Amino acid sequence: MAGSDLRISEHPILGQTKEGREVTFTYDGRPLTGYEGEPIAAALRAAGVMVHRYTAKKHTPRGIFCAIGRCTDCVMIVDGEPNVRTCMTPLREGMKVQTQYGVSSRPEVTP
Amino acid sequence: MKRVDLIVIGAGPSGLSAAIEAAKTGMSVLVFDENARPGGQLFKQIHKFFGSKEHKAKIRGFVIGQQLLKEAEDAGVQVSLESTVIGIYPEREVVVRKYVETPAADGTDPQEPSSRHEAVFHYKADAILVATGASENMVMFDGWTLPGVMGAGAAQTLMNLHGVRPGKRVLMLGSGNVGLVVSFQLLQAGCQVAALVDAAPKIGGYGVHAAKVARCGVPFYLSHTIKKVEGTNHVTGVTIAEVDSHFQFIPGTEKHFDVDTVCVAVGLSPMSQLLKMAGCEMDNSGKGGGQIPVVDAAGQTSVPGIFAAGDVAGIEEASSAMIEGRMAGIRIAEYLGYETKEAGEAEFSKEEASLEGLRQGMFAPQNRGMKIEKTEEGIPISTNLLKHGFVADDEIGRFPGVTHKAGIHPVMECTQNIPCNPCQDACAKHCIHIGLNITALPAVEEGSTCIGCGMCVASCSGQAIFLVNEHTKEGCAEVTLPYEFLPLPKAGDEGFGMSRSGKPVCRAKVVKVRTSKAFDHTALLTIEVPEDMAMKARFYRSRLECTGGDSVIAQSRIKGAEVSQNGATGDRPCESKAAAESEKREEGAAI
Amino acid sequence: MRTDRSKDLGPCLPMEGDDRIVCRCEEVTQGEIRQAVHDGMFTMTEIRRYLRCGMGLCQGQTCSRLVSGIVARELGIRPGELRPASSRAPMRPLEMSIWANECQAPDGAAETKKGGAGDEKC
Repeated sequence: MAGSDLRISEHPILGQTKEGREVTFTYDGRPLTGYEGEPIAAALRAAGVMVHRYTAKKHTPRGIFCAIGRCTDCVMIVDGEPNVRTCMTPLREGMKVQTQYGVSSRPEVTP
Repeated sequence: MKRVDLIVIGAGPSGLSAAIEAAKTGMSVLVFDENARPGGQLFKQIHKFFGSKEHKAKIRGFVIGQQLLKEAEDAGVQVSLESTVIGIYPEREVVVRKYVETPAADGTDPQEPSSRHEAVFHYKADAILVATGASENMVMFDGWTLPGVMGAGAAQTLMNLHGVRPGKRVLMLGSGNVGLVVSFQLLQAGCQVAALVDAAPKIGGYGVHAAKVARCGVPFYLSHTIKKVEGTNHVTGVTIAEVDSHFQFIPGTEKHFDVDTVCVAVGLSPMSQLLKMAGCEMDNSGKGGGQIPVVDAAGQTSVPGIFAAGDVAGIEEASSAMIEGRMAGIRIAEYLGYETKEAGEAEFSKEEASLEGLRQGMFAPQNRGMKIEKTEEGIPISTNLLKHGFVADDEIGRFPGVTHKAGIHPVMECTQNIPCNPCQDACAKHCIHIGLNITALPAVEEGSTCIGCGMCVASCSGQAIFLVNEHTKEGCAEVTLPYEFLPLPKAGDEGFGMSRSGKPVCRAKVVKVRTSKAFDHTALLTIEVPEDMAMKARFYRSRLECTGGDSVIAQSRIKGAEVSQNGATGDRPCESKAAAESEKREEGAAI
Repeated sequence: MRTDRSKDLGPCLPMEGDDRIVCRCEEVTQGEIRQAVHDGMFTMTEIRRYLRCGMGLCQGQTCSRLVSGIVARELGIRPGELRPASSRAPMRPLEMSIWANECQAPDGAAETKKGGAGDEKC
């Protein structure tokens, strides 16, 4: 995929990384591309996004931590729904992904 | 409420294996897994597995996963994916969260042919096998919540399942097999590994795993741990420091690395909460890596009809999890009367013997925490290997796989007793001897003739076998080594021979590159090096990699330049003498 | 596993790392956990109810081992001697709307590969 130096185009063991259909989604309103069916978190990482949310109490940034749906640190607001585990949720065309502040999409609402 | 004979929770190595054995006897088996794909963590394992033929040794983990899935399909095992078990209730009732597909005919949006929503379902089974595996342990340090700090398993998931590097430059905390294997995989994915750090004074994982990371130039910092991870919104650097025998930081020993990712590999804990909820008696003593159920030899817990297998019943590894799963599957079939005691017993004891085979050697569960100073053969263990990740030049000669001989011959730098023997079967000329004791160190069979086919090199899961011809022509030697990186060098390329510690020691010319289906993605690189480097050069780096560029090994940049200036003025790499001198200095400094 | 409640722990002196987050979900620090022990919370269940650590989205998947380590150290016992927290459903984050949505899985129906795309009716 163009512009991402974190994508592995060819792997010595796994060969050509098989890719699905390229889809467009938005991240905080910014259009990004990824591959259909890959976890949202993988598409974001490849696009250079590291901060998925800011916590409710101390407003500190969080990102991918376990990548297998256990830790829930990577949750974001996806299509309006908060607390969506982005490492487990497959990317689809037109998805609206937003940074989560506490459980809100707007920083100022955070108590 | 739907009823089946057996519900398996977790479609990983042990769960699938159990489901296969049970389904073979005619039982109705339903496997739940919360992930979108089955196989658990097997599909992120891209290294060749250890063990014996019956343990699928020298086959890569993800290929074993594919084989297991095929076997499950053939046996008629039903796997329900994206199905999360949220509780086990009395009378073996299982509550599952899963998706329901609503057809468009139900009056939903015509634009959407069908819609999915989630609901809760109840199932009942005569037996339940909990095979939920384990989760990664964590340690706390300042900055551990910053984006960029992640579990080693997370890094593995990103790069091996999703084709995305977790970062560009990584520091690994933890020198157990997970830390070592993932470090190597990070290098394979094209990341830089700045350092491998462990608070323990000795490397915890297999020496061969450490050695292949060390020869790529990754420095090991034992008795060190993370003091602080830096960054505002994400990781920009990390400071480590040495710790004393009480794991307290020693002032003034801080070392800083610019990294964008910190991986943590400090062990696994069984995910046994479901078993506890089901009322199974638990063992909280800490053996098995955390809270584990009390089980009998068949994996049955204190609650009749509820079984456990794999990491949830005590942390081991994927190969033993598969065997444990099969054992539990057989016993469950017996328990429910689908298999006679006699027939079951025969199969069970076969699996039991196979498991016994894996639980041997220095790293066997019963040896955990023990101080082992000598091999079974009575040879002192390499102390340099345990501290720095590579066997020192003055230690390597004492191991039975390392011998000198005229002509091409295998050199097996396998120095710890681990249950593994594919090299013995790989050699058609019977040059390699391990014998019936699977943990014995491989030895060169006297009087045998190596034909240089390279099968042993490619078959060694630890990448510890080299073919060496100590004298090919005046002043020259050839070393054939396993190579699993891209880009693959070509015959004629010139670069550097790297020592076991990952330092350039001489100029080297690639004379042959062999790839073959039989080698399974391990390329065999034959390099020509100066004669005195035959027993020292164990890796190859191209000139570009050694002098800069954005490639894997910025660490050796300066050293590489040094060598290219001081040494190797002649045309032929094997004429280099000054390089050898520079190597001596560096090796001295490393130890 | 009896809990000795007469134990005198002495004063809760500040320690290195007290401001460090332990429970990542509920943002509970080491200092808060240590103070809770001195306040008389001697079991994992009490600590969870008092501070909410391990009660967030991940349900203690990440921190329970760390928390029990801190509590045990404060009590001067081994983590294994500590009474573990109880385990109860749901084991994974679950929206109430889904939990309340009970469905019937038809008897004998074939499960399909992708979760639940079978004959289940709600």
